[in-house]
Amino acid sequence: MVVVHMSLLRRTLAVLGFAALAFPVGADAQLRQIVSKTVSASSAAATIELEFADDGALEITFDAGTVYVDGEAVGSYEPGNALDTAWRDMLADAMTLENGALAAMLVEWNAADHADGATDTVVEVDRAIDDALRVAQEQADAGSESAAMSVENRVTLLRALVGSANRLGALEEALEGIDARFEVHTEDVVVEEGSVVEGTVVVIGASLRVEGEIEGDAVVVGGALDIRESGVIGGQARIADTRMLRNDGEIRGGLVDVLEDEREVEATLRDRLREEIRAEIRNDLRTEIRNATRLEHDNGFSIMSPLRPVLRGVGGVLEKLILVFVLGLLGAGFLSFAGENMDAIAETARKAPGRSAMVGFAGSFLLIPVWILGAVALAVSIIGIPVAIAWLPLFPLAAALAALLGYVAVARNAGEWLADSNFPWTGWIRKSNPLVTLFGGLLGLTFAFMAGHVISIAPFLGVFAGLLFAIGAIITFFAMQIGFGAVILTRGGRKREYTGVYDPDAAWEAAMSVDIDDDLGPPPPSSEARDDDHVDRQEGGTDG
Amino acid sequence: MGRALCLAAGLMVFVPIGAQGQSWRTVTMSRQLQSNEDVRVFVRYGAGHFTVRSVDEGLLYRMNLEYDEDRFEPLADYSGNRLRLGLESVGRNINLKGRDTGSLELELARGIPMDLDLEFGAVRAEIDLGGLALTDLDLSTGASESVVDVSQLNPAAMSAASFEVGAAQFTVRRLGNLNAERIEVSAGVGSITLGLDGRWQRDARIGIEMGLGSLELHVPEGLGLRLRKDSFLTALDSEGLIKRGDVYESLDFDSAERRVVIDLDAAFGSVAVVWIR
Repeated sequence: MVVVHMSLLRRTLAVLGFAALAFPVGADAQLRQIVSKTVSASSAAATIELEFADDGALEITFDAGTVYVDGEAVGSYEPGNALDTAWRDMLADAMTLENGALAAMLVEWNAADHADGATDTVVEVDRAIDDALRVAQEQADAGSESAAMSVENRVTLLRALVGSANRLGALEEALEGIDARFEVHTEDVVVEEGSVVEGTVVVIGASLRVEGEIEGDAVVVGGALDIRESGVIGGQARIADTRMLRNDGEIRGGLVDVLEDEREVEATLRDRLREEIRAEIRNDLRTEIRNATRLEHDNGFSIMSPLRPVLRGVGGVLEKLILVFVLGLLGAGFLSFAGENMDAIAETARKAPGRSAMVGFAGSFLLIPVWILGAVALAVSIIGIPVAIAWLPLFPLAAALAALLGYVAVARNAGEWLADSNFPWTGWIRKSNPLVTLFGGLLGLTFAFMAGHVISIAPFLGVFAGLLFAIGAIITFFAMQIGFGAVILTRGGRKREYTGVYDPDAAWEAAMSVDIDDDLGPPPPSSEARDDDHVDRQEGGTDG
Repeated sequence: MGRALCLAAGLMVFVPIGAQGQSWRTVTMSRQLQSNEDVRVFVRYGAGHFTVRSVDEGLLYRMNLEYDEDRFEPLADYSGNRLRLGLESVGRNINLKGRDTGSLELELARGIPMDLDLEFGAVRAEIDLGGLALTDLDLSTGASESVVDVSQLNPAAMSAASFEVGAAQFTVRRLGNLNAERIEVSAGVGSITLGLDGRWQRDARIGIEMGLGSLELHVPEGLGLRLRKDSFLTALDSEGLIKRGDVYESLDFDSAERRVVIDLDAAFGSVAVVWIR
C-alpha cells in the first residue's frame, strides 16, 4: 500500500506515459498461461485443445487407435487399453481445471506411468506436453524478476503502473477531480465488516471488496469491485475497465463508470454489428427449426411433434368457437331485423325438412347457371347492362346471405330440439330466449367438429377424430341445404306456405292428449259435406 | 457447483465408453478472462436442455455441451470482444430420434459488462442472469419451457431488455434485479409468468404483446403498478388494482418508491395479477 498525493501520482502518470513505451511488461503467471481450453470426448475420440496467451496452441487427440499431436499422427494405441483409459481419466480431470491448475496437472501427468512400456506413442505424447510446459517454465523464469514485486514503496507502485501501462488513460480519468490524500493498492483489498477507512481508496489491477465503510471515494481501475450488503462507500464509486461483481451495498455518491463516454461512442458501431449478427443468427435458427419441423415428413419425428397436436387441437376448437360467435352475431341480427322471416324459414325447415333439402340441393346446383344466365340476359339489353353490373356481385352475396340465414334458422331449430332433449349440458338452453337457443343450436351443429379437434390431441385416436370430422361435415352439409331450401321455399321467409295455420283444436288435443271430437258429440261434417250443406243452404235460401 | 457438474458430466463420459451411442460427444470449453472490456455474447441453441449462470473464476465463459456430432458442431468463437457460442447444425436436419436431446450448460463471466443475445428453439431452459453485468439483453425462444431468474441485482444499468417468446411456457423471476429501464415481452402462444420482484433501481416500463395464452404477473406489495390494457378477448383478474380511466393502478401507485407501468396488448387469453408479500 502506498500513500500518495494526487500531484505526485499525476507526475508519475505523465512520466509513465512515455516510460511505458520503453519498459518491458512482466509476465504475471508462473506457468504458461492457458487462455482457452477445449476438452471433448466421444466413444471413438478424446481430445484436449489448449490456446496459450502467447498465441501458441496444443492439440492432442486419441482417435480410433491413432494419436494425433497438433493434427499429425504420432503413434497408435489399442482403444480401451490402459493408456486410453488413463488419457480419458486425465481429460475428465482437465474439464474441471483452468489455467494454472490445469497446467500443473498436465505437468504432473505422464503417459509413461499408465502404459505397458515406453512406446513411441507414449514418448511423443509426453514430449508434446513437456515441450508446451517447458516453454512456459522458461517464460516464468525469465519473467520472475519483474513479476515478483512488493507494494510497500513508490518503486513498486511505479512497477505496478508500468505493468498496467494500457490502463493509464483510464486511471487518469478515474482520478480526475480527486485532490484528497488517498491510498493506492495494487493487491486485492478487503474492507472488512465493521471497519472504517478514512479518505479515498484507489485499487489498480486488483479487486476491492467492501464489507465495511469507506468514508471517501473508491476508485478501481482494471480490477473488480464487490460491494456486499453491509458495504458503504461514502463518496463515489469510480470504476474504469473494472468488473462490478456485486452492488448490494450502499454508494452514497453514486456509481460512476469513467469509461461510459467511450462506451457510448462505441454504441453505434456495436448496435450495428449486433443487428447484423442477430439477423444472421436468427435466420440460421429459423432455418434450423424449419428443417427440424420438416422431419415429420422425412422420418416421422420432429422436435415440434409433441406440441403440434395440442396447438392444432386447441386452435381448431378456438376456430369453431369463433365461428359460432360470428354466426351467432349474424343470427342475432336476423332475429332483430327479420325475426318473422326467420320464424317462417325455421318453421318450414322443421315441418318440411325433406322438401327443403331437395329444394336446397337443386338451388345449389342451379346457382351458378342462374347467375351466368341472368347476367347474360340482362346484358343483352342496354337498359339491363347497369342491372347486370349490380347483378354480378349482388347475386352471390344474396345467395351467401340466404345460405347463412337458412343455416342459422336450422341452428335455432337444433337449439330448440336440444332444449327439449335430456342430454347433459343442455340445461342452459332456454327456448324462451331465442338468442340463447340460437347459440345452443350452433354449438350443437359444430359439436362434432370440436369433439374431433379435442380427440385429435390424444395420440392414436386419429381414426375417431376423422370420423367425428366426417359426421360434422355431413351435419353441416344437410343443415346448409335444408336451410337454403327453406329460404327458397319461403322466398326469404315472406311466404308462409309451409308454416301452417294455428289450429287451436289440434293444439288442445296435443296438449291434453284427448280427442275433442269424442267428448263434444258427433264428428263435424267433412269439408265436402260442409260445402254441400253450404250449397244446399244457399239453394234453399234462394228458393225461400 | 459448476465444477461439480463438470466432474459429474466428465465421469459419465470419460469412463471407458461403449454404452453410449457412437455419435454423442461431450465437450467442455472455457476461456480465461483477459480484459474487463465490454463483451458482446451471442448464444444460439436449437434443441435440448439449456442452462445459463454466472461464473467468477477468472473465466470469460465455460461451456459444457452434449450433442450428436453427426448433426451438430459446437460454436465457440471469440474475436474483437465478440463471443459467439452454441451449437450449429452441420446436416440438413436435426435428428433426435431414439435419444434424449443434448444439453448446453453455459457459465458467463460475472461482472463483465455484457451485451447478451440468447436465441434458442425447442429447449428446456434454466437461465440465471444473477451476477452478470448486462448492458443489453435480447432473449428469443421458440417452443420452449423456460425459466429466467435474475437472482442478483444487475450491477450495470440497462436501457432495454427484450424477451421474444414463441409457443412456450415462459417464466421470469425477480425482474426488478434486471436494472432495466424498459422491458419488452412479445409472446405468441403459451403461458407467461412475470415476477416483478427484485430490487428495482428506477421506475420502469414493461411492454407486453401476447397472442393467445395466459399471463400471470407476480407483483410484490409496495411496488407501484399501473396496467394499461389493450385487448380483444382477454380476461383480467385485477385483484388489488383500481381502475382509473383506461388504466388499472395499485392503491399505492402515487406514493410508491418505485413504479412499473405495464402496457399490455393481448388478443385472447387471461391476465392475472398475483400479489406477493
